[in-house]
Amino acid sequence: MNKIFKLTLVLLLICAIVAGVLGVINELTYRRIEELTIQKTNTAYGAVLKAESYKELDKAALGLPAAIDKVNIDSVNEALDASGNVLGYVIVTTFSGAQGNITLASGVDSDFLCSGISVIEHSETSGLGAVAASTSQAGADWRAQFAGQGEDIALTKAGGQIDAISGATITSRTIAKAVSVSIQVAKEVAA
Amino acid sequence: MYFRTKLKEGVITNNPILVQQLGMCATMAITTTLFNGVGMGLSVLIILTCCNVCVAAIRKIIPEEIRLAIFVVVIAGFVTIVDLLLQAFIPALSSALGVFIPLIVVNCIIIGRAEAFCQKNTVGASFVDGITQGLGYTCVLILMCLIRELLGSGRFGGGLIDITNGFRFTMDGTGAGIQLFPSDYGASILNLPFGGFLTLGVIFGTMQYALKKSAKKKEAAEQAAAAAAAAAAKEVDE
Amino acid sequence: MLSSILAISLGAILTNNFIFSQFLGICPFLGCSSKVDTATGMGLAVVFVMGLASAICWVIDTYILIPLGLAFLETLAFILVIASLVQFVEMFLKKSVPSLYEALGIYLPLITTNCAVLGVVLLNVQNNYNFLESVVYGITGGIGFMLAIVLFASVRERIQFADYPENFEGFPICLVSAALVALAFMGFSGMQIF
Repeated sequence: MNKIFKLTLVLLLICAIVAGVLGVINELTYRRIEELTIQKTNTAYGAVLKAESYKELDKAALGLPAAIDKVNIDSVNEALDASGNVLGYVIVTTFSGAQGNITLASGVDSDFLCSGISVIEHSETSGLGAVAASTSQAGADWRAQFAGQGEDIALTKAGGQIDAISGATITSRTIAKAVSVSIQVAKEVAA
Repeated sequence: MYFRTKLKEGVITNNPILVQQLGMCATMAITTTLFNGVGMGLSVLIILTCCNVCVAAIRKIIPEEIRLAIFVVVIAGFVTIVDLLLQAFIPALSSALGVFIPLIVVNCIIIGRAEAFCQKNTVGASFVDGITQGLGYTCVLILMCLIRELLGSGRFGGGLIDITNGFRFTMDGTGAGIQLFPSDYGASILNLPFGGFLTLGVIFGTMQYALKKSAKKKEAAEQAAAAAAAAAAKEVDE
Repeated sequence: MLSSILAISLGAILTNNFIFSQFLGICPFLGCSSKVDTATGMGLAVVFVMGLASAICWVIDTYILIPLGLAFLETLAFILVIASLVQFVEMFLKKSVPSLYEALGIYLPLITTNCAVLGVVLLNVQNNYNFLESVVYGITGGIGFMLAIVLFASVRERIQFADYPENFEGFPICLVSAALVALAFMGFSGMQIF
């Protein structure tokens, strides 16, 4: 019994030391991590719809469903200019791409046209589906197709306006669907 | 001298991945760009060295029965420190490696070295062991990255090297790398899980071939020496 | 609700299989797959521990770590929970269900260092799953692991009859065949039923 007690004590002591050290490191880093997260969201939002600030709306109060057409609605943000006028919305959605979940920010302007999109997180195939998120010219060109589109967005293969990324039809199609869902959501929120 | 023998052991003869067959998951999962490979390799190297030193330092005071639990706690501590620091200072690496940073905790290399080496050796020796084994791990990761990136997307040094405005190293993972041939001609299947398994399999096979060859050479040399000795002994007899 | 559960299960078993698309749990996958019997035992043990670990870690994270602002201790807390859980399950099985212990016993200690188990609890936190979703993800993730390891073990049993380069003997040929199985699993990618 005495032995078990001693072992537990040693283990507890070591855990306490480790936890203490981690606490100190956490204290030193968490502000910076928080700042970086905010900065990252603002950059992502800014890339799809330029505005002075963004205000997250309460989804439950708006009575929005959790998902439309298998596209989860993560957050709806009002884009505000310096004097607080609503310029449009930035809608963050998560949906299943070809390899895993894709998190996408779509900007919708006051005319309910898409102002731009940005992939926040994804695990698509490098060189194929990942083009949608890449900072390369090809990626930027592909994303630029969405600007100015209205609610019915589809791939050219399905009679729409968006050229699919070659070798990544599934990624392209799911993103197109998410953008049209985002525009629907923006219309509902505005109404 | 000690460092050199240990280095050879870590990188070649007792390589953590190719010989001890430990820590496969991250090896295959994140080796798609050089940036990820170098980042992961260095993270493991740092954690391994710290843990080795720490375990060696407390090896005499930890009770035998709960040593594994203590190792795990120490490892988890260092992994969390590295995780937090990466999140704060190299966020691009942290988001690229994702869950594989905290998963270094269960990377068998670290607990394996603690159990097999540091328990019985001094702090200094464990430090050297951490560095050399970590380097061995990093080398294999880099090799995997180079092969997969080159054949998969025709690129070299993705995320780490930028040549748009002259050659420079990018520490934030934004460099596009050097495009050696258009990525359309690359076998992009190598960037998929399939490529991870295949590349590691081929590297393993090559390693076995090389080890076997050198063993054979040694054997042949030994046989020749033995034959010479026997001949010499015979001569003396006569 | 139901559709999200079904989507999680399908993803964990097929499209985002732990082994073939997320690369979690490769060490036991390669180590315990030389025979179908051992593979099944290992698979069952993993399903069991992954389900339990998901449930317990979710509770600890939601009711202890997050309210206390200790989210940075997650990795440490989870690995301790998993290690003690494995010990506990081993003792419990040995005493009360000896037949199951016979079947799973020797695989249990290996599970502590199976990164699929720690991986699943970390992913639960990352994906913001609720209790039910976490448990379902844990169990179906385990089933995905089991499917992969059993399938691969049956492939491996046939390798010994195959003619392959001598230098690929042992580990390398396993990796190459795992690559081919992974290729087959790629066929599931992009599948959306629910």
